[in-house]
Amino acid sequence: MLTEGDLQALPRLIVKDLAFRYRDRQSLAIQDISFESQAGEILLIAGSSGCGKTTLIRCVNGLIPRSYKGERSGSILINGQEISDWPLSKISQYVGTVLQDPERQILGTRVLNEVAFGLENLGMSRAEIYERVDEALVYLKISHLRERETFNLSGGEKQKVALAGVLAMRPSVLLLDEPLASLDPASAQDTLDMVRQLADEGMTILMVEHRVEDVLRIRPDRIMFISDGRVRYLGDLRGLGQVVDYQEVKLPVDMILARAAADPQPIEFKPLPGGQLEAGEKPEPLVSFKDVAFGYDADVEVLHGINLDIQRGDVIAVLGPNGAGKTTFVKHAIGLLKPKSGQVLVGGRDTHDASVAQIASMLGYVFQSPSHMLFAQTVHDELAFGPKNLGHKEDQITEEVKEALRIVNLIDKEQDPPLALSFGQQKRVSIAAILAMRSRILVMDEPTAGQDYKNYMNFMDSILQLPGFESILFITHDVDLAVIYANRVLLIAEGRLVADGPPQEVLSDFERLEACRLVPTSLLRANVAQVARTGYFMRAEALAHLC
Amino acid sequence: MLVTWRYRERKSLIQWFDPRAWIIFYGCFLFSTLFFWDVRFLTPFLVIALISLLTSGLAWREIRRPLLFIGGFVIVFAFLTFLTGRGGMEVYSEEHLIRRYQTPFTILGWQPSLDVTVERAFFAFSQLVRVFSIAIMTILIPYSLNPALYGITFSGLGLPDKIAYAMDLTMRFIPTFGRDFQLTMDAQRARGYELEKISGGLIQQVRKLGPLIVPVTIHAIIGSEDIVDAMDLRAFGVGPRTWLEELHYRPKDRILIGFGLSILIVSLCILFFGYGGFWVPEALLRTAGG
Repeated sequence: MLTEGDLQALPRLIVKDLAFRYRDRQSLAIQDISFESQAGEILLIAGSSGCGKTTLIRCVNGLIPRSYKGERSGSILINGQEISDWPLSKISQYVGTVLQDPERQILGTRVLNEVAFGLENLGMSRAEIYERVDEALVYLKISHLRERETFNLSGGEKQKVALAGVLAMRPSVLLLDEPLASLDPASAQDTLDMVRQLADEGMTILMVEHRVEDVLRIRPDRIMFISDGRVRYLGDLRGLGQVVDYQEVKLPVDMILARAAADPQPIEFKPLPGGQLEAGEKPEPLVSFKDVAFGYDADVEVLHGINLDIQRGDVIAVLGPNGAGKTTFVKHAIGLLKPKSGQVLVGGRDTHDASVAQIASMLGYVFQSPSHMLFAQTVHDELAFGPKNLGHKEDQITEEVKEALRIVNLIDKEQDPPLALSFGQQKRVSIAAILAMRSRILVMDEPTAGQDYKNYMNFMDSILQLPGFESILFITHDVDLAVIYANRVLLIAEGRLVADGPPQEVLSDFERLEACRLVPTSLLRANVAQVARTGYFMRAEALAHLC
Repeated sequence: MLVTWRYRERKSLIQWFDPRAWIIFYGCFLFSTLFFWDVRFLTPFLVIALISLLTSGLAWREIRRPLLFIGGFVIVFAFLTFLTGRGGMEVYSEEHLIRRYQTPFTILGWQPSLDVTVERAFFAFSQLVRVFSIAIMTILIPYSLNPALYGITFSGLGLPDKIAYAMDLTMRFIPTFGRDFQLTMDAQRARGYELEKISGGLIQQVRKLGPLIVPVTIHAIIGSEDIVDAMDLRAFGVGPRTWLEELHYRPKDRILIGFGLSILIVSLCILFFGYGGFWVPEALLRTAGG
C-alpha cells in the first residue's frame, strides 16, 4: 500500500513502452511511447494529422481499448497504479478529457446539467453535486452561465463549460485534445490562461495542439513531437527548434527567423494569376453587398448594414470573434441566405432571383465540416459530383478532378472511399470538391480547422497560384493566414463590418484587433515593425532574408 | 451537438402540470382516441386537443411549420382514403352511392371511375378528426416540455436510468437530425445539386438522393459515437445515477392523471358495450337513397 509520501514522490502519470494497433488496421497507430509526467506539469504534444496524438490520449483516458478495440501493449500508471484493469468510471475520476470540439462533448441542455452530468453518474448526493458544480463554475468564472442553454453559448463559452464538466469530477490528470481548434484567438488565450492556472495548482496536463506558438505563451514544461506514431522529440522548447522543421510546426517568428535566414530565399509568388487586371480594364465588382441586413428570427437582426464589393484580384480574409456573423455573411454571397433588407448581387444578378446552383458556377463555397457533404464511393466520384451538376463535359471533369487532387496532395487517394480517410484528408477532399468546379470565386469557411500546419500552408500556397480563380475569400481565426495570404481584410464584430482594407492597414491597429477578440501574433508584430521598409506583409521565411 | 426543440417557459395549461402527469394523460388520450371511429365519440377528443393547443401559449409563427406540415399530411392522407376507399372497408360492409364519376376513356378496356359514397366520405372525415386530434396533442409535447427534464421525466415514469437517458437523447435527436439535414442540403446545393430537378424511375430517384442521405446518416452515426465517448468519459451507466432535478406530484397533477385514466376506462367500457365503431348519420344515408 502506497503512503501519501510515496504518492507525492511518484510521477503522476507514467507511460511505458505503449503501443496500439486498431482492430481494422495493419500497422501500429503508436509504438514505443514512454514518458513520465509530474504533478503540475504541462506537456504539449504536437505532430502532424494522423501521427497518433489522439490515439495516445485515448489510451490514457481508457477509451482504448474499451471503446476503440485493438491490440494494446505497454503500461500506463496513474499515481503508481496500472489502469488497464480499471473500469472507465474509475479512470474518469482521475483522468479528465476535453475533446477537440466542445460541441462533441456537451450532453446537457443547460449549463448546470452539463457540468453535473459526471457527478450524477457517480450517484453523488444532490447537495454535493450542487456544491461541486458551483465550485467549478466559480473557478472558471462562468457562474453567470449556470442557467443558460448550452446550445446558445458562444464557442469560447462552450469550451469553458466542457472544461467545467470535467473539472467538477476533480481529476488529477487533464487531457486536452486540440482545445483551441474552434476558438477565436481571445477565447483561446482565456483557455490557455486557465490551463496554466490549473497546472500551477498541481494538475498534470497533457495538451495536444497544432497551435504550438499560442501554447508557448503559457510556458509548457516540455514538448513532445510525435511522427508516424513514435516520439521524435521530448524535451524543452529550445531543443524542439533543432529537431523539427519550422515548416512542420508553427513556431514563434524569432525561432523561424534564426533558422530560415540560413535556408535559401523562398520564391516569391504572385497570388491569384486569374485576378490580374488587363491594362486599362475597368474593374466590375464580382459580388456586391448593398446595405444588407439579416436575422434568423424576425425580431433579432444578426447582420446590420453590410456594404462592400468583392473585386477581381481580391484575396480576402474575414476575421472576427465566434458568433460575430462571419458565416452568415458569406452564406449570403452564395444565396443560401437571402437578405431581409438590402441586396446581394453576384455577377450583377440579385441572389433573390437566382438559385444556389446557378450561383455555384460563379462562386464555390467550401463548408466548415466535411462530414456534411461527403457521400460518394470514391474520391474521384466525390470530386466529379459538382462539375457534373454544373454540366461540365466528361473529359473536362477528368482534368478538373486530377488538378484538384494534385493541389490538395491527395493524388494517391483517387480511388479510396472519402469517408474512410482521416479528418484532415476529408477536409482536403471537401476543398478539392469545390476546386474541381472551377468557380470564378472561391469562398472557404475555416479552411485550416483540424489540419496540420504543413498541410494547410501547402494547399493555401497551391490554391493562391491557381489560374482559374478571380477572387478568394476565407473565414479564419488564424491571424497569420490573413498576414501571409490576404491582400484585403474584413473585420466583422456583432454583425457589423468594423474594418475593410489592406492587411497592413487593418491589422496594424492592435487596439481594434483586441476589441474584436483577435490577438496579434509574433509574425504580425514582426511585419508591423518592418512594414515601413517592406510596404506589405510577408511570411517569416521572407522576413528572415530582409537583413 | 444535440439541439433541443424550441422550448420556453409559458403560462400554459400543459406547463401548469408535472411533465410526468401530462405524459400519462397524453398516453391515456392516445389509446382512447384509437378505440373510436365514431365522430360523436371522437369530437370530445378533438375539443380537448384544441383546448390544449389554444392554452399552450404557442404563437402561430412558432408552430406554423409543423402544424401546416402535419395538417397537410393528414388532409392528403384522408383525401387519398376518400379517393381509394381503402382502409374503411374493414369498418363498414356496405356503401351508399351519392354519385359515380367515370372518365370518358378506357385504359386497356378498364374505365377509371370514382364512387363517392356516404361511407367513404364520412370515414375520411372520421379519420381526419381522429388523426388531427392525436397530431395536435403530439406536436405540443416537444414545445412544452422542458428539455432539461426529459431524463428525470422518463425516469420518474419508471424507466431504468439508461433507457430514460436514451429517451432524453432520442427526443433531442429529431431536431438535431433536422439541423444536420439542412446543413447537408446547403452544402450540396453549393455544389450545384438541385433536389427539385431529380428525375427518372423510383430506384434512380432514390439513388440520386444519396448526396443527402449518406452524409446525414454518416453524420448521425459519427455523432452518436461522439455521444457514447463523451458519456463513457464521464462514467455514465456505472450504477444508479442521481438526477439533479427533482419532480414532485401535486394535487392538480393527480387530478390530471385521474382524469386521463377515467377517459381511458370510460372509453374501454364504451368499446366493451359495442359502441364507438364507425357511424354515419341517418340523414346522410337517406340523402343517398339508402
